[in-house]
Amino acid sequence: MGELFKWDYTQYPGYKKYPHLFKPIQLGKLTIPNRIKYAATEDNLNDKDGFVTDADVAYIRERAKGVVGGICCMQGVYMDEKRQGQGYVGQAACWDDKYIPGLKRLADAIHEEKAVASCQLMHCGRVGAVEVKYCHGPSPVPQRLRIFRPVQVMTKDDIKRCVDQHATAAERLCKAGFDIVEISGIVGYLISNFISSYTNKRTDEYGGDIRGRMRMVVELIQAVKKVIGDRPLGIRLCSDELLDDVRGNTPEESMITYQIAEEAGADYMSVTLGWQESIYPVISRDIPQGNWLFLAERAKKHIKIPVQMAYRLFNPAIPNKAIGDGKLDFWEMCRPMIADPHMPKKVLEGREDEIRPCVACNLCLARLFRDAPMTCYINPVCAHDHDPKFHITPAEMKKKIMIVGAGAAGLECAWVAAERGHEVHIYDKLTEVGGTLLEARKAPYGDEELYYHINFAKVKSDKAGVKFHLGIEVTPELIDEEMPDTVVLAVGPKYIKGTAPGFDKPNVVGVLDVLAGKVKIGENIVVWGNKKPGVGVALYLAKQKKKVTIVGRNKDFAIDINPSFRWRYNAYLRQNGVTVYNDCDIVEITDNSVTAMTYDGYQIPIKADTVVCTERAPNQDLKNAVKDLGVEIFEIGDMVIPRNLSSAVHDGYKVGLRI
Amino acid sequence: MPVDAEKEISRLWRALHGAQDSTIKTFYQWRNAAVGLLPNANPSEIALKGWEAMAQDMGKSFLPRLSFYKGEEAFLKQVAGLYVNTWQGYGAVVKVEKGSNPMEAFIKWERCPWPSFAKDFDAPLKEDVTGCDLVLQITLEMINAFMGTNFKIETQKAIPRGEGVCLRRLYKP
Repeated sequence: MGELFKWDYTQYPGYKKYPHLFKPIQLGKLTIPNRIKYAATEDNLNDKDGFVTDADVAYIRERAKGVVGGICCMQGVYMDEKRQGQGYVGQAACWDDKYIPGLKRLADAIHEEKAVASCQLMHCGRVGAVEVKYCHGPSPVPQRLRIFRPVQVMTKDDIKRCVDQHATAAERLCKAGFDIVEISGIVGYLISNFISSYTNKRTDEYGGDIRGRMRMVVELIQAVKKVIGDRPLGIRLCSDELLDDVRGNTPEESMITYQIAEEAGADYMSVTLGWQESIYPVISRDIPQGNWLFLAERAKKHIKIPVQMAYRLFNPAIPNKAIGDGKLDFWEMCRPMIADPHMPKKVLEGREDEIRPCVACNLCLARLFRDAPMTCYINPVCAHDHDPKFHITPAEMKKKIMIVGAGAAGLECAWVAAERGHEVHIYDKLTEVGGTLLEARKAPYGDEELYYHINFAKVKSDKAGVKFHLGIEVTPELIDEEMPDTVVLAVGPKYIKGTAPGFDKPNVVGVLDVLAGKVKIGENIVVWGNKKPGVGVALYLAKQKKKVTIVGRNKDFAIDINPSFRWRYNAYLRQNGVTVYNDCDIVEITDNSVTAMTYDGYQIPIKADTVVCTERAPNQDLKNAVKDLGVEIFEIGDMVIPRNLSSAVHDGYKVGLRI
Repeated sequence: MPVDAEKEISRLWRALHGAQDSTIKTFYQWRNAAVGLLPNANPSEIALKGWEAMAQDMGKSFLPRLSFYKGEEAFLKQVAGLYVNTWQGYGAVVKVEKGSNPMEAFIKWERCPWPSFAKDFDAPLKEDVTGCDLVLQITLEMINAFMGTNFKIETQKAIPRGEGVCLRRLYKP
């Protein structure tokens, strides 16, 4: 097959900085010009019958543009008409020839961007059957999580049929024009179910020891290999299932599965880890970047075929070094390219500071598991790539815009509006940009990564010509004097105190002052508010060995954190000995105690020498003061309703487009 | 506004007992309603169907909490502990006692509200033992299928049979 498209990276700054990322590599008979891959990611963008949509084609095209000649892998397709293999409502299908034209649109879009088109075969097994009552699996091991369907044991005929379906689907993908076929055997999907000692209890030739449990995989690889000609065949397998609590495979067994897959004919190995049923975190923000590289290195020691890996490799310096050191062959990405589809392109072009950084919040995953289309916490355009309403286009009438507040919302609005041609001035009473995030980033377990968005938006604003006026408090008089056409208020929320007796005492302090180290705090602390600011500051204080209790009015804690990440905070609160009283409010504060009251009237005495207020309210003061000036006014971010970073960014982007 | 801790705790305690009572009462109220609607059906079969539904849900709730991380011996104790916690939730006085070997544990109910309510609602006490056994068997089957173990549980004594305590042996054969 050789090389599909000619790429010369030598003149680009990224080539000089990260030479190992832009070196060619051989996958089977195909030469890939670089070491970059957008790894298959479900997006729930296709129609309910599995036909590819315009939204998915546009989504993939942008990622194909981003890999600058590397591999762009579309999401895994399901291959059975009965839909037991379907794990996501918007998953693409490939069980009939009628799907070929849609799939061809994807392959063509990738090729038009001079990238290598890859497609994945994905039977979701134990976590599948999203539209039907029973899922397929090797053994009737009950589901640990209630969201998944009961398992129907596969007969030998079912297994044979499944292998045939993989081969037939692979043929269709080739007809559609894909250059690489990949088999997904990860996170609890069918192949991993057969491989794992946790879910495969069969006593026939498809069970038993690790070779028996790999039999189905071997048959599958061989069947697919037969029909795809010279195209490379890749496979994604777990290097560590992280299922030791339920007697899953040992890491040694996982390495044997790699060797067997290589022997069976796989041309490359994509290294993954963890299952959806694992109790350990793998990709959330609290896991350090590069944490899992040792698994790729271990795989390299066991197999000769190229090794690919994603998993917390957001910074190009890490995979570049790993490839240089011989620990990895290919840099895979999912979430970093959901957040910024052109991320590797910017790396190549020396525009790293313009990369919109993924904050590893896992909102994208949370949406998929709740049958919602893909979206991104930090990228308002994600999954709207096909919609012109989300594109930055020149403004019809150039305006002078005054943005009040250089936090996440204000900065996002500023650069978007400036790129559209407006004259943008951004003001903040602080001498630094960042708003609330200046302090919020100090909370533990990875929150410093939230601030990366500010760096990105500041760079974009500078490059778009936004004028900064820091250390200046905006007043109605200043607005009157500057005579802007439009004022965008992004002043952030108002931090409030309760009305119960004692809230006026000196031992009651504000969350930002605590995080800034501006106030003295005691040893026994009550945090008032159980949303993210409360949880963040509680953990920040607990890490300093304080005894912390959260009292919050919401029925559940951290409702503003998405569910795919909230479980981590639950664990950290427990580990750090933080007591949480939800659905509760403070009814009295004294110098050394707080009385909390549950929603149904029970009183709880809590020893406390300091109370930290984290509750927020809309902030309409400036708006009320300027509303009669006769200027067009927009409000964005937490000043409207206190929410989170995502809402601030999305508000800012949308208003930046509207002005 | 000082908090009267004794008063708060006694209110919570009463509320807890009220909730425990109403959980069990609701079971027997539904049993008797179904028996009334199906005069030709065997009442015990109806009750067992109810126990079975309860067991399925109870089993599902156990699975996320299971861990084989510390080995089989600890796992057996963990399973016994889950039964203890569940029945404590109903208001029973129940504990785990060591067996003659590490792969054996005894679960001892010294007091259990279920037979008292069975009496109050005119359900045969025999049915109560059979129902409880069914719940334990079904949930243990689910645990065994999930973790690949082969634990057994057998009833050696039962309060409804007038033996003072319920005693169940959980073991690996």
